[in-house]
Amino acid sequence: MERIEKAITSLQRMQGSGPESGLHPLCLFVITVAYLVAMLSVPVSAFTMLLWFALYPVVMAALTGLDFTRIFTGSLIALPFALLIGLFNPIYQTRTALRVGSLAISEGWISYLSIILRSMLSVQALLVLVSGKGFTGLCRSLESVGMPRLLSTQLLMVYRYLTVLLQEAVDMTRARRARGYGRRHLSMKMWGAFCGQLFLRTVARAEAVNRAMLARGFDGRMPRYQPVRQRWTLRDTLTLGASLACFALLRFVDISRIFTHLL
Amino acid sequence: MHMSDALLSAPVAIAADVAAAGLLVAAALRLKKESRENMVPLMGVMGAFVFAAQMVNFAIPGTGSSGHIVGGVLLAALLGPWAGFLTLASVLIIQCLVFADGGLMALGCNIINMGAMTALVAYPLFFKPLLRFPASGWKVMGVSVLACTLGLELGACMVTLETALSGITALPAGKFFLLMTGIHLAIGVGEGIATGAVLLFVQRSRPALLMPDSARSQGKKGMRGPVIAFAVAALAIAGGLAFLASSAPDGLEWSIERITGSADLAATHVSALSTGAAAAQEATSIMPDYDNSFAGIVGAVMVLILVWGLTAALSRRRRKPATRPIE
Repeated sequence: MERIEKAITSLQRMQGSGPESGLHPLCLFVITVAYLVAMLSVPVSAFTMLLWFALYPVVMAALTGLDFTRIFTGSLIALPFALLIGLFNPIYQTRTALRVGSLAISEGWISYLSIILRSMLSVQALLVLVSGKGFTGLCRSLESVGMPRLLSTQLLMVYRYLTVLLQEAVDMTRARRARGYGRRHLSMKMWGAFCGQLFLRTVARAEAVNRAMLARGFDGRMPRYQPVRQRWTLRDTLTLGASLACFALLRFVDISRIFTHLL
Repeated sequence: MHMSDALLSAPVAIAADVAAAGLLVAAALRLKKESRENMVPLMGVMGAFVFAAQMVNFAIPGTGSSGHIVGGVLLAALLGPWAGFLTLASVLIIQCLVFADGGLMALGCNIINMGAMTALVAYPLFFKPLLRFPASGWKVMGVSVLACTLGLELGACMVTLETALSGITALPAGKFFLLMTGIHLAIGVGEGIATGAVLLFVQRSRPALLMPDSARSQGKKGMRGPVIAFAVAALAIAGGLAFLASSAPDGLEWSIERITGSADLAATHVSALSTGAAAAQEATSIMPDYDNSFAGIVGAVMVLILVWGLTAALSRRRRKPATRPIE
């Protein structure tokens, strides 16, 4: 129940954000992909190099007017998986990588930290992208650069009906709980009947939606409901160029080493 | 089974993204060619249904914990393989972009592992040839469990392959493979029972929904694409894993190497029993002295031919009464 309600809250929060201002959605998308490619191509042994990539989510959140605390908190959800899988690195990589005073740090711990950082940074970059531009804006942008129309329509349809069907599932779960005499989870037999019922309601809704859409002249494509389409401006070109240059610098030059030499 | 960006290297992630994008475009073109674009509202709402169904947990007997459905085989059974794949892919994309479940760069891997392996491989190979509705409860359950388990196991193999090729985690490929396939065996059985339960409910309540004309009209021709995809995937997995098994020492070998200074145990420790067993294996094996990659590919081809032959024989037997002319 909690999971469904949390999902509904996330969706409502997402629907609140949109491409009202700032960068073109396509520009931010290209920047995000370039950032992820550059960041993920840094070897896990080069932790100091990777650390510099942590600047991007902070800077981009500030530029697009987002609350970085929320982005940072959001990036913690993917952490348990990275913590678990990465834990094997200190076990298998025991060679000493560096010494801090008398403390020897193994290669495994360095790569473990890198995995944790990679996990958090990739989610942060994703959250900056989607929180800043909204799901609809991204779909439209990707459609303009060649994503099949059928796929973008499908994505927008699923996105549109998620809230509706999640609410349907919440109502059914609440009704079941009220009559469930304290049982937390459904037995498999009850789950089958529950989801089967949800499926029948879904189909009934889909048929009604299809008839309504056909009556309004649906031609296989979702109508644009953004009154003004955001244009690609000089600002987008400059931001994209500067971002790509920064990522190349961070990827190919070890800035930490320069600092070490200076100090 | 959601892959994370953290465990993928950039080349592996990009290759998987390109492959997944190709599959998505192929699915969209195929649906357009079959003039099934009018299915979009149904596919859209079905995607939302699977998403909602994933949020409703079922109790796992005897463990006190709960699980949820993935829905690949279920979607393929209700919509057909390509529409089912496209729908599940859209659910994965939304999970990634809206709920940050799985990374953006890992999206291609997730679409291949969870979407393609279930809807485009397991469904046409292990579900469709063995089951035609209406069917008995046991048959629906049995075939659902078989298809879902094999689909998830193939996905688990792909996860191992992608992780091993990326080389981010130090966990040896062999151990990771055993861990993933072991866990997904149990998950696959749960997924199969859940899929069977929904299908049985729909068969009882609205049987017409389980027999879409589209799924029938695809027939033998519709199987060709997924079967080729399966063959390529099986070869890639077998070849890739065999290569990794041959090139990277596993944890046990590594421990032995650390203890003894050599990867091989001394010949004096080999018992007479093990010598006898090795001789027996040598005498009975088809390819006694072979290269690992080559053996992996040959093994996969043999399994593929066996499964193909078995499903073809079963479907021919099943089809016989249907070929009688209707008077």
